[in-house]
Amino acid sequence: MMVELAHHLYLLVAVLGLALSVSYGGQPVLCQGAFLAVGGFGVAHLERAGLPLAGAVLVGAVLAACAGYLVGLLTARLRGAAVALSTWAFAWLVYAVLDAFPTVSGGSQGLVRPSPARLHSPVFDVTVTLTPLAHVVVAGSMCLLTLAMVARLTRGPAGLEWAALREAPALATSLGVPVLRRRAALFATTAAVAAVSGAGITVLLGVAAPSDVSPLLSLQLFVAALIGGTARLWGPVLGLLVIAVIPPLADGLAGAAGLPAEASGGVLTAVALVAVPLLRVPVERFAGRWPERTRRPGERVEDTEDLAPRTAASREAVVLTARGLDVGIGETDILTGVDLEVRAGQVHALIGPNGSGKTTALRALAGALRPKGGRILLEETDVTGAGQLEMVRRGVTRTFQRTVGLERLSPYRQLLLGVRGGSPVPFAAVRHLFASESMRDHAAAADREAWRVLRLTELAGRASDRPGDLGASEQRLLQVARAVATGARVLLLDEPAVGMTGPERVVLARVLRRLAAGGAAILLVEHDLALVHGVADRITVLDRGRVLATGTPESTAADPAVRRVYLGDTDPSSARG
Amino acid sequence: MSGGVALQAILSGLALGAAYGLIAMGFTLVYRLTRVIAFAHGDLVVGGVFVGVLAVLGTTPVAAAPGLARSAGLAVLVVAAGAALSAGVYFIAVRPFLPGAGHRSTGGDVLGWVAGGLAAGLLIREVLGLVLTQDAYAVPDPLRLGRLTPSGVLQLPGGGTVAVRTLGVIGIGLAVGILVERLLVLTPVGTAMTAVSDDPTAAALLGLPVRRLVLVAFVVAGALAGLAGLLIAPDRSLGVDDGVVLGLKAMAAALLGGLGSVRGALAGGLALGVIESLIVASDVLGPRFADVAPLAILLIVLALGRQGLRSPLREDPE
Repeated sequence: MMVELAHHLYLLVAVLGLALSVSYGGQPVLCQGAFLAVGGFGVAHLERAGLPLAGAVLVGAVLAACAGYLVGLLTARLRGAAVALSTWAFAWLVYAVLDAFPTVSGGSQGLVRPSPARLHSPVFDVTVTLTPLAHVVVAGSMCLLTLAMVARLTRGPAGLEWAALREAPALATSLGVPVLRRRAALFATTAAVAAVSGAGITVLLGVAAPSDVSPLLSLQLFVAALIGGTARLWGPVLGLLVIAVIPPLADGLAGAAGLPAEASGGVLTAVALVAVPLLRVPVERFAGRWPERTRRPGERVEDTEDLAPRTAASREAVVLTARGLDVGIGETDILTGVDLEVRAGQVHALIGPNGSGKTTALRALAGALRPKGGRILLEETDVTGAGQLEMVRRGVTRTFQRTVGLERLSPYRQLLLGVRGGSPVPFAAVRHLFASESMRDHAAAADREAWRVLRLTELAGRASDRPGDLGASEQRLLQVARAVATGARVLLLDEPAVGMTGPERVVLARVLRRLAAGGAAILLVEHDLALVHGVADRITVLDRGRVLATGTPESTAADPAVRRVYLGDTDPSSARG
Repeated sequence: MSGGVALQAILSGLALGAAYGLIAMGFTLVYRLTRVIAFAHGDLVVGGVFVGVLAVLGTTPVAAAPGLARSAGLAVLVVAAGAALSAGVYFIAVRPFLPGAGHRSTGGDVLGWVAGGLAAGLLIREVLGLVLTQDAYAVPDPLRLGRLTPSGVLQLPGGGTVAVRTLGVIGIGLAVGILVERLLVLTPVGTAMTAVSDDPTAAALLGLPVRRLVLVAFVVAGALAGLAGLLIAPDRSLGVDDGVVLGLKAMAAALLGGLGSVRGALAGGLALGVIESLIVASDVLGPRFADVAPLAILLIVLALGRQGLRSPLREDPE
């Protein structure tokens, strides 16, 4: 009885670790059993090699973390379904390896180790015998510790990044969150926790056997993590129910029906698997209460504050230059020989008919597309081929044509995410976890910067509202504000005025002029010519991937080629018949 | 490895690969039309075989050769069982989570069909496992190709031997594979399927019965899986749990073939079969890598391989 309880509690630890990747990172990970195997078989082998138990567990966890980081990096670029496929394949790969190499797994009998284990500390000269009751205490406290750590992490910078990771990876990158490394790190943590849990089970049972870490276990843990989800208090309880109640229930049912007991656990797991996606919606609705309601961030009003950005560049200096830019997607050439100069303190509008390559130009300048030819210069530095993240670090970021939302983060928290992404603090999550003193100063500075941007973009009044409650135009403004919060000197804005009414466009124009006055260089892709002429200092007209004209609003508007191609003006002299 | 052994390994690899190719073709067909990764696809192979055997023999499998009528019945039933199981998986585990026509960009409820497919496969394994309690069974061979020559084997130049059955499996596998591929190109139904895989919204607007075409794809995929089981099972003992690894190997084959091309899937299957067979025959690696190597190939191709623009499994967030 005690043994079973301890076993279930250890599995719950693995579920809580898995929830980091599944519920917080948004990755469907189906190979938790494989990492349990790394811990379980690792500790047995390391102990045979002469390591003390505690050392063996630690080394096993580190090994699993390395393996997890590797698998995490390999799967980080995949879509959700492909992540599920590759982790499922990994679970079977590890199982196949255990099956194929009896020297590793001890064959179908498994690796046996002396039980019960004794822990001896030479320093205090104490020996502790790990009875099942001791295991229950150890596993229970590990559960509580994991829960507490996850709860603390979600309240800090990591929680913001995780929300961005799972809801909008592309947006997260544009705000300076290193998506691939974060996913891999979450994977590594998940794996390390699983390894500790696997080691605990091996020590508890006195044996590490392949059948205990089959892919079916991975599925069960996945179901438990999904059902437990992110719900803080009753989530783990539900997860424990999945682990602890389904197998005996299945055995009982099978016994009543006169069927072999060992095969029926899978049937109920299958039923639970089907029930999960159906249950998820009501569970999320129940868990989806607005977290900001209880704790509204207090706005700091500082009378003497100026709205200037942190890095004031000299006005009208060329910040971002594109020279002879050729960009293609796949085999199709989108841009040919595009020249563009964006100056500090100016709003530079990029206009052109649909399909002329405006958004592609923006993506290339932001580092999201690697140009096939030509160069991109940031001030004097050649940044051609730099990735998006590096461009954000250097002060260039973009917004998206579609409204990309972070439904669970208030505008204030979204801006905090941008501020932290733009000027990252090394190991912020770990330092926050251990309540490092220096993090408090960083947090205060980030808070000030977030409020400055909120006022700059006239969103201070909606700081702690649910993003879904914001109007369409406020959501568009929030996109701009997020980009500004990264501390970018160059803002690449893709149709920020979409869906805005006339008066709302006036607000947007005012905000853009204010940002430019603060020294920002703004490249604005826009269809609304009235807005463009009201706000832009310079205009570049694109047509079929080439620059048709560039200059002041007046000169481009007067350009006959522009009038013909863009404004649909037919020039009588060139008209045929 | 000597030349004769290598030739023998390549031939048996082609036979294995033809079966992998048939499974991979069905997987690819389903993926093209729905962008759904069919997690239960490998279990259809095993499910089809065992359902057919149980229905015809009425008992758990015995290796005894069945009579002519029973052989024909077994062959037909296995293929039909694969198709029926596939349709069942579609209705229960996939269709509820597919996006409505024209909303494919969202991919529907991805977690839904992933969990649904995994659960369907698990259910097939577990329900069969209630009846078939051994680890593996020898499955009777309805094709009876071994009777064409007295010994059932042919001598190969270089000293190796090859079973007549192996050559028959290669022939049947390739013939059916190429036939299905040609049908998909040449018949109106095949053209309609291509339209759906290119753009389901436009296909629906043109009045094509998208849902019915998707069902046809699942049925064809299930029938191909059943046939593959028929080809592959009598050569080895088959266990209820072998389906998952078979399915994963077929996915590796489909990915090797570029995912999205039915012809490529058949070629990828042949390639994977030969690779696996050579690994098993090699002195360095040996049979223990029979499952390990293809699974590793699947992971590597998934993570690092080039993927066609039309069917991306990847999105680059950075």
